[in-house]
Amino acid sequence: MSEAYSRKLGDDLLRPLLETSWRFYLIVAVLGSIVLMGLGTWMYQMYMGFGMTGINNPIFWAFYITNFVFWIGISHAGTLISAILRLVNAGWRRPVTRCAEVITAFALMIGAMFPIIHLGRPWLFFWLVPYPSSRLIWPNFRSPLVWDFFAITTYLTGSVLFLVLPMIPDFALVRDRTTGLRRKIYGALALGWQGTPKQWHRLESAMSIMAIAIIPVAVSVHTIVSFDFSMAPVPMWHSTMFGPYFVAGAIFSGIAGLIIAMAALRKFLHLEEYLHPVHFQNLGKLLLMMSLLWGYFVFAERLTVWYGNESAEVAVLRVTQKGSFAPLYWTMVVVNFVLPVSILSLRKLRTITGCVVASFGVLVGMWLERFLIVVPSLGHKYLPYSWGVYRPRPVEIMITISTFAAMTLLYVLFSKFVPIISIWEMKAGEHPSPALAPKAAHEHALGETHA
Amino acid sequence: MHKWGMAVDLDKCTGCGACVTACHAENNIPTVGPEQAARGRAMHWLRVERYWEGDFPDVRLKFRPVMCQQCDAAPCEPVCPTYASHHTAEGLNAQIYNRCIGTRYCANACPYNVRFFDFFNPQWPKPLHLQLNPDVSVREVGVMEKCTFCVQRINAASIGAKGEKRELKDGEIQPACVQSCSARAMVFGDLNDPESEVSRLSRSPRGGKLLDDLGTLPKVTYLERQTQV
Amino acid sequence: MDRRDFIKLTAITGTSATLASCGNPEHQLIRFVPDEDIVPGIAEWKPSICPMCAGGCGMNVRVMSADVDTTRKGEAGVVAMSVAKKLEGNPKDPISQGGLCARGQASIQITYHPDRLTHPMKRTGSRGSGEFKEIGWDEAIAELSGQLDTLAAAKNQQALAFLVRPHRGRRTALAAEFLKAFGAPAPIIYELFSDEVLRKANGISFGHEQLPTIDLARTRFAISFGADFLGTWNSPVAQSTAYGAMRQGRPGMRGAFVQVESRMTLTGASADEWVPIKPGTEGVLALGLAHVILAGKRPADAGRAGAAIDGWSAGLPDYTPAKVEQITGVAAKRIERLAHTLVDLQPSVVFIGGAPLARTNGLFHALAVNALNALLGGVGRPGGIFFTPNNLKSETRNLKPQDLSSAKVVLLDGVNPVFGAPRAWKVREALAAVPFIASFGSFLDDTSSLADLILPDHSFLESWVDSAPESGSIETVASNAGPVMKPLYSTRATADVLIEVAGKLKTPVSLPWKTAEEVAKSTATASPQSATPSPRSPARFADPVFDGDAASYPFHFLPYASLQFGDGSSAHLPWLQEMPDPLTSAMWSSWVEVNPQTAERLQLAQGDLVDITSSQGTLRAPVMIFPGIAPDIVAMPVGQGHETFTRYASGRGVNPIGILAPVTESDAGTFAWASTRVKIARVGEGDRRLIMFAGEMREHPHEGDIR
Ligand SMILES: Nc1nc2c(c(=O)[nH]1)N[C@H]1C(S)=C(S)[C@@H](COP(=O)(O)OP(=O)(O)OC[C@H]3O[C@@H](n4cnc5c(=O)[nH]c(N)nc54)[C@H](O)[C@@H]3O)O[C@H]1N2
Ligand SMILES: Nc1nc2c(c(=O)[nH]1)N[C@H]1C(S)=C(S)[C@@H](COP(=O)(O)OP(=O)(O)OC[C@H]3O[C@@H](n4cnc5c(=O)[nH]c(N)nc54)[C@H](O)[C@@H]3O)O[C@H]1N2
Ligand code: SF4
Ligand code: SF4
Ligand code: SF4
Ligand code: SF4
Ligand code: SF4
Repeated sequence: MSEAYSRKLGDDLLRPLLETSWRFYLIVAVLGSIVLMGLGTWMYQMYMGFGMTGINNPIFWAFYITNFVFWIGISHAGTLISAILRLVNAGWRRPVTRCAEVITAFALMIGAMFPIIHLGRPWLFFWLVPYPSSRLIWPNFRSPLVWDFFAITTYLTGSVLFLVLPMIPDFALVRDRTTGLRRKIYGALALGWQGTPKQWHRLESAMSIMAIAIIPVAVSVHTIVSFDFSMAPVPMWHSTMFGPYFVAGAIFSGIAGLIIAMAALRKFLHLEEYLHPVHFQNLGKLLLMMSLLWGYFVFAERLTVWYGNESAEVAVLRVTQKGSFAPLYWTMVVVNFVLPVSILSLRKLRTITGCVVASFGVLVGMWLERFLIVVPSLGHKYLPYSWGVYRPRPVEIMITISTFAAMTLLYVLFSKFVPIISIWEMKAGEHPSPALAPKAAHEHALGETHA
Repeated sequence: MHKWGMAVDLDKCTGCGACVTACHAENNIPTVGPEQAARGRAMHWLRVERYWEGDFPDVRLKFRPVMCQQCDAAPCEPVCPTYASHHTAEGLNAQIYNRCIGTRYCANACPYNVRFFDFFNPQWPKPLHLQLNPDVSVREVGVMEKCTFCVQRINAASIGAKGEKRELKDGEIQPACVQSCSARAMVFGDLNDPESEVSRLSRSPRGGKLLDDLGTLPKVTYLERQTQV
Repeated sequence: MDRRDFIKLTAITGTSATLASCGNPEHQLIRFVPDEDIVPGIAEWKPSICPMCAGGCGMNVRVMSADVDTTRKGEAGVVAMSVAKKLEGNPKDPISQGGLCARGQASIQITYHPDRLTHPMKRTGSRGSGEFKEIGWDEAIAELSGQLDTLAAAKNQQALAFLVRPHRGRRTALAAEFLKAFGAPAPIIYELFSDEVLRKANGISFGHEQLPTIDLARTRFAISFGADFLGTWNSPVAQSTAYGAMRQGRPGMRGAFVQVESRMTLTGASADEWVPIKPGTEGVLALGLAHVILAGKRPADAGRAGAAIDGWSAGLPDYTPAKVEQITGVAAKRIERLAHTLVDLQPSVVFIGGAPLARTNGLFHALAVNALNALLGGVGRPGGIFFTPNNLKSETRNLKPQDLSSAKVVLLDGVNPVFGAPRAWKVREALAAVPFIASFGSFLDDTSSLADLILPDHSFLESWVDSAPESGSIETVASNAGPVMKPLYSTRATADVLIEVAGKLKTPVSLPWKTAEEVAKSTATASPQSATPSPRSPARFADPVFDGDAASYPFHFLPYASLQFGDGSSAHLPWLQEMPDPLTSAMWSSWVEVNPQTAERLQLAQGDLVDITSSQGTLRAPVMIFPGIAPDIVAMPVGQGHETFTRYASGRGVNPIGILAPVTESDAGTFAWASTRVKIARVGEGDRRLIMFAGEMREHPHEGDIR
């Protein structure tokens, strides 16, 4: 790895931090106002009453919980994938890890908002938190919602650490390249990084520990999210496969989110030289695998329910597959399975565009999947007299849209202030810690991209 | 220690719905109005389910009053993160409105769909508010509510009996629905007293629990309707 | 918090987390409200009487203290007073025996209704505009007596029409007494779902022009011909109590009953056997049953009840099961079986009420059922029917369309004929021509909004009340009760107003009472029982005549009394509006019940809007798929469709009475409200006007489907 390449890397990857175009302001303004509208809508919902939503008796959970599961699912792209790729030392991961990890942090923050937004009395959300109240009242540790609280806070802490640790050398790089206030801020963020072998060594062991530790946390988070459903005796919720099913679904949607984010970065930040088609192809293969896995889960779930023919469950099955939810259900099957499998299993179609199209399908499909887990079951519990229907209301739609805007906004801001591709990892070949530089052969085996 | 339970004789119940209105009157249950009712927000802690069977001319109707079954293994309790839904020593599934933050998880977990959510602050255009029962708290927006077995009546009777230094008599406590039922289809009492009317009825060969196979251990027994001509 | 506290808290957290996995951690919660500190409110219980129907159920009212925003002596302020909180049936009352129906439970909302009339008012705008101004009681009473004086001066006392509620009690007696003393004709009763035909038949068959009390509690087998005795007919609470006892009140013996009707009522839903029948042929079935029993060599004597039926002594040769099957549509085998059951399961009883009597041949059906009952020995013995002795009935007459057009002064006591009478009677038009109308009702409704003067009564909880119901108990019941709370508003008991007006007239009218309390406490003087009916030719079946020919109007139209609103008089109570209708689960709505096959044939889905057209007009309502109705009948509940009736009922739903043809029962001359034929046309998809509480109407909706 040459000196020139190293400089070019720095120039290319730091450019977004140092130059600001009008486009940036425009996009921040647009996204920001959508986010503000979402916040305003939430305030309005709180002020007017929770009845502004379309939630009703008995469909007590709907859009908000769908969004919650969806965003927590998206968060599984980053940290989990990057940790696994780090552990197997896949060289092609280098330009991918950071833009993946940051998805985790933001998706988690957004996802974690929903349990609060969906509360009847959100101003009392802190009663979910175990704090030493003078009345000695603790949350109920038997409630999966309290488990959620622990799981999400642990995962958020872990993945923020996992994201921030490898940013330190890059902050130092920015510090060294800038002056004035910027230098001071990045200097502070760099935590006195000098690039000494000792520091490299510490970073390296910290990263290895984190990479190992974060995987079970990530798996447990979506397992616990799935427990929100499977612990309740609700037809088609009360299922033993929900843990792995949710984790697989989470990784599936996470990869799709990552592919879209990378394609956007590549296009808008002109990172064509760093994010190569082979990256997309590799992620596309992963997505294909997850799509097949997802299809397997859905098949297994539906088949057992149908074959078992337990009346309450069959009612839910019917309404999703044949009844009023059928259009959504079959859309989900097409965009989550038929479309990605047809595109991604053909080498010719596994292009960047192909991957992006498939990924968009998967995002839509996975949102629908969560919706179809939450709503039809609640509307068709055991006593048919109490069955109900659900129609979303404008507040829920607005808040949902605004979370997508929030995700994009946070992403844009992040890539504005932090190198979105880990510069030092790209330079891995020349950095002073040989242990971190993978062997060339190894890299090529996994699809190394640069000479 | 008492264990409160109920028996509903479906052979006596006419489906008249007097109990439904009585429960509203006793428990400060708001009416939500036509717009909200159309959105599925009507609140009836007690509902009389009706199911059609067969087709004309061999058609039958089946009524079943369903209120909180006061499950001994209540799925609504463990899921509540704040203990707002919890079990009392006398076996009631109690609801502390002040403590409820409105996750609505309990309502999902309840297989009987008998928990109702306050989507808005309740309204009683004056002077309808004068009817409110001062022994029952009025619920604000964002909390979950449900049949309490008229716990205020249980308390009042227990305190009265204690004051008079005597045991509660069987039939002394009548929840509002039980009280109003002309056909005497519902009986309330202590399941720990084998001699009580409700215990006797619960042992009836016609008796059964709603969704028994879910293992919720309900304390309401339904006595099946008979047919004979 | 110091370190020690922190450690303690941490320990508790740990413990509670551990406990979470075993047992009920909430039992460890520290209770801040120990049981000893729960202080239930102090309540007083006072008796009263339900005003909602002629049943006259006695109730106990829970009275507690509250802060009331009110006006006292013209000054607004907050007053601590005792107010009613909850109504319960009075266990000592022989009618209610501790129970109340939904309407009785909800009647407390009359007192606290936000749109209740709070003071006397005089019309300012044009008639029906709803514009009134507040006046004082002195002015109001002067106005009313002035109008009566004018009538008296013109010697036109006959032109005073006083419309009263059909309840049996001293209030009607006061009105009757007042009118008699004034020289005016007797009070007028208008009841849509009137039982006059049955009273008349009972007079002919048994010598009692009265509704029967059915001793269900001791019966083993009953056949009800159309009587919704558990829902809306006669004395529903008393009958439901008896029904409960009939079913499971006698160890080892369960009473059974069969319901004969064309649309399943609440009562039909509880029947052991539901027998749908062609409308207007119920009496034929009764005689078919009698035919079988007579052929079984039972003593044929059914007294005067039998004599009232043509061909009785000959064993009813015209009513063989085969012929009856042809006429009624009920299978001959079934007729024979039911007849044998009537004989085998003694004591047995049959009775009739509701729609069968609202046909041109209604009296025949009643006489036929009476004869069958007499044949079974079901009259005046345990498990049969009884006529409550001392049936003290004040003299009243039934509203005829011409009564109003000839009137100069009309007084309304909480009756609403503009809503409840068929449009062809032109009640509204007649009232528009009446020079002076005064209303005592507590609400502005379709009729009272036409009044010139409003003298609002106290609510029943604020007044002396009394009742002497004509049926519901085998023993005579005469109850009265004082006010359970002070009046909330500047209202006045109508009894007091009438007494005052009587005294204020130029030629004062003398009444035997000084106050409303005296009226309620007084006992009836004479019982103007109608004389034994004159002999008449025995009744025989004549085909019912329906308005509208079957070709252009293919469906029978069946309006029915709604469980919540009765004839519509309680549509203003929000609890009843939001109470799911027991059979359909509808709330706040009107609907047309259509058989599923018919709906499929006409391509109607639940909630679709249809136009129902009779010879009298068209109404638009959403479809309710209803399995318990014959394919050639459509039914609609009465009660909604008020133009004016408080915020909760005004403009809500449609009123089926509007399209009823003015057909009358051929003997009794009463309005035959179930004799109209209609056609249906789909208008379009439903909007949100059909509001239902239930999701599904079957317990196993997909039963029978192949997976
Ligand atoms: N429904 C209901 N009842 C409750 C409670 C509840 O939450 N709901 N809470 C319970 C509890 S915890 C409590 S502590 C009690 C409180 O019950 P109370 O002791 O009755 O409390 P207050 O109504 O706050 O105050 C009593 C009176 O003191 C007067 N006052 C104010 N300052 C002074 C002063 O300096 N001198 C004198 N002489 N009078 C003064 C006030 O004007 C008022 O009239 O209520 C109990 N009862
Ligand atoms: N504006 C205003 N503020 C006041 C007062 C006032 O008059 N006006 N009064 C003051 C006075 S006197 C008082 S005492 C305080 C009272 O103030 P708080 O003590 O805050 O009283 P609450 O809100 O009645 O109840 C507190 C919580 O206890 C929970 N709880 C109920 N039962 C139990 C139980 O059995 N176990 C446990 N662990 N929790 C339970 C309830 O759900 C509720 O959330 O307010 C004070 N603040
Ligand atoms: S009041 Fe009694 S008879 Fe009427 S619906 Fe309720 S339980 Fe049934
Ligand atoms: S019926 Fe429902 S609300 Fe009642 S205790 Fe059982 S689970 Fe809880
Ligand atoms: S809605 Fe209230 S009672 Fe139900 S689980 Fe949530 S906090 Fe508990
Ligand atoms: S027991 Fe009380 S709260 Fe429960 S349904 Fe009956 S009246 Fe309502
Ligand atoms: S039957 Fe119902 S409405 Fe009639 S008097 Fe009795 S409680 Fe009142």
